[in-house]
Amino acid sequence: MKIGFIGLGIMGRPMALNLVKGGHEVTVWARRAESMRPLLEAGARAAVSPADAAQGNELVISMVADAPDVAEVMRGVASGAEPGLVAVDMSTIAPAAARQIGRDLAAAGVDFVDAPVSGGEVGAIAGTLSIMAGGSEAGFARAKPAFECLGRNIVHVGESGAGQVAKAANQIVTGMGVLAVAEAFAFATKNGVDAGKVREALLGGFAYSKILENHGQRMLDRNFKPGFKSWMHEKDLNIVMQTAHQLGLCLPGSAATAQMFNAMVGSGLGEEDSIAVLKLLERLSGQA
Amino acid sequence: MKVGFIGLGVMGRPMALHLQRAGHDLHVWARRPASVAGLPATVCQTPAELGRQCEVVFTIITSSADVEHVALGPDGLIEGMVPGSVLVDCSTIAPEAARHIAARLGEKGIAMLDAPVSGGAQGAIDATLAIMAGGKAEVLARVRPLLECLGQRIVHIGPSGAGQVAKACNQMIMVAAIQAAAEAMRLAAASGVDCGKVRDALAGGSAASRVLDVMGERMVRRDFAAGIEARLHHKDFGLVLAAARQSGVPVPLAAVVDQQLNALMAQGWGRDDTASLLRVLELL
Repeated sequence: MKIGFIGLGIMGRPMALNLVKGGHEVTVWARRAESMRPLLEAGARAAVSPADAAQGNELVISMVADAPDVAEVMRGVASGAEPGLVAVDMSTIAPAAARQIGRDLAAAGVDFVDAPVSGGEVGAIAGTLSIMAGGSEAGFARAKPAFECLGRNIVHVGESGAGQVAKAANQIVTGMGVLAVAEAFAFATKNGVDAGKVREALLGGFAYSKILENHGQRMLDRNFKPGFKSWMHEKDLNIVMQTAHQLGLCLPGSAATAQMFNAMVGSGLGEEDSIAVLKLLERLSGQA
Repeated sequence: MKVGFIGLGVMGRPMALHLQRAGHDLHVWARRPASVAGLPATVCQTPAELGRQCEVVFTIITSSADVEHVALGPDGLIEGMVPGSVLVDCSTIAPEAARHIAARLGEKGIAMLDAPVSGGAQGAIDATLAIMAGGKAEVLARVRPLLECLGQRIVHIGPSGAGQVAKACNQMIMVAAIQAAAEAMRLAAASGVDCGKVRDALAGGSAASRVLDVMGERMVRRDFAAGIEARLHHKDFGLVLAAARQSGVPVPLAAVVDQQLNALMAQGWGRDDTASLLRVLELL
C-alpha cells in the first residue's frame, strides 16, 4: 500500500521502519529533515510537507506530540488529499480534539481514524504495539494492513474518538498501576522487608500485572531511564482529568495520581521514567 | 465619569448600580437585552460602541473565552476604547488569559486591570467585596475611587494576571473549606449528633470561619438554593488545576475537592449552592 507517514520521533521512526519492512511504499515527512535520514536509507521517499505526504497515497499516518500538532499536520494532509484518502492519527490526544479533527477532515472528504498505541518504544521497535482505533468500519478496514505491521492487539473500539477514550483509560490503569506498585514497595521497605521478595510473592497472585513484573523490576534495579517519560504520562493524565471535568465524572484515584505526576514534573523528574514516582514517595516519607 | 459595565448578572447588576448611585454616567451592553431592562443607564448596541464612550469599562462575565470575545472579538471593546482608557475585568478567568488580553489592549494604549472579586452576591449588594488587582499600580490608583464604590478591601497584588492568581488561591481555600465543613456535618449526623449544635460550638473556636458560618448554616438547614452556584466553583477549579499543572505544583487536596465537584455536577446540582458537597458525601 502507498502510505504517507508524518512524525519520526522515538515512536514514529521505528513504526515507519516497520511499514517499510512490511513491503509498503512509504513517504515520510518530519519537521527536522535529519530525522528522515534513517528512513530514506531504508528505502522511504521524502516528502516536503504534510500535504505532499498525503498526495497520491491511500493512507497517511501521523505520530506527533500533541493535539495542536495533529490539527496542523492534518490541515496540510487535507489540502493534499485525493478522494478516498484515509488519515490515521496514532498520537495520544484528547478524545474531544480527535473528534473535532475527524469532523474537519470529513468536511474535506477524508476519512479519519484515531488510533493511539500502547507499548512504548520497545513495542514500536518490535512491532508489538497495542492499537486502539476509533472511526468508521471502512476507514479501519483500510488502515488494518498497516496496523498489522505495527502491532499485535488491534481493536476497533468504536466511533471517532473512541480510540483516544480507550487510550485515556489505558493511562488511568497504567498511571495508578505504577503508583500502586511504587507504594507497595515503599511500604515493604519502610517495614524492613525486601521489596524484591514481596514482588516475587505477589507475582503468583491476584496482584499480578505486567506493571508489577516489568516496572516493578526496574524499580528494584533503580533503573529510571525512560521507557515512558513521566512528563508524557503527566500530559496523558491531564487529558483524563480535563475530560472528566468536562463530563462531570468523579475520578478520585486518577486525580491523586495526576497530582503525583504533576509533582514529578515540577521537581525535575519529568525526563525520567514514570517509575520515578517511587523517588517521590521516598522523598515524602523520608526514605530518600 | 462615563463608566461602562458589561455582565449584569447576580454580581454585576448590584455593582453597576453602586457606580451609578455614586454619580457616574453608566453605559451598559448585554448579549440578552432583557438583562439591561430597568437599569438607569445608556444601553449600547455593541461592546465597541460602549468602549468608545467610556473612560473606564468594567466586565464581570463567566469564562476566559467570554472575556476574550467581549474584549478582543468582532465589535469588541478593543475596537472602541480609546488610548488612555481602562478596562477593569472583575471576572474570574485564567491568569494567562488575563495577561494575553492585557497585552493585546496594551498595544492600542488601553490599560487593563484584572480585578476579580470575592464576597458573593451579598458582598456585591452590600458593596463589601474583596478586590484583588493585577496590573500597573498607577492604573489602579486612577480607578481606585470607582472600586471603592464596590468593596472595602482593595489590594494591589502585582502585575497583570496577579489578581487572577490571588483569586485562584481564594477559591482553593474556600471550596476546600466547604468540603471540610460538609465532611464534619456528615460525620456529626452519621454519629447521631445534632449538626446545628456542632456548628454552633465550632463557631466559637479555632475552626471558626466564614464558610462554616454561611455554608455550614445552609447545610444544617439543608437549604441548597444558591448562594453561589456550584457550577462556578467547578469552573474555577478547572482554572486552579490548570494553573497548578503549568507551575508543576502538586495540589493534592484541591484535586480531590475537584472530583467531588465533578460528582456534584453529574448529579445536576450545578445551579445549586456549593453546600451541595454535603449531598455528594451522602451518595457515597
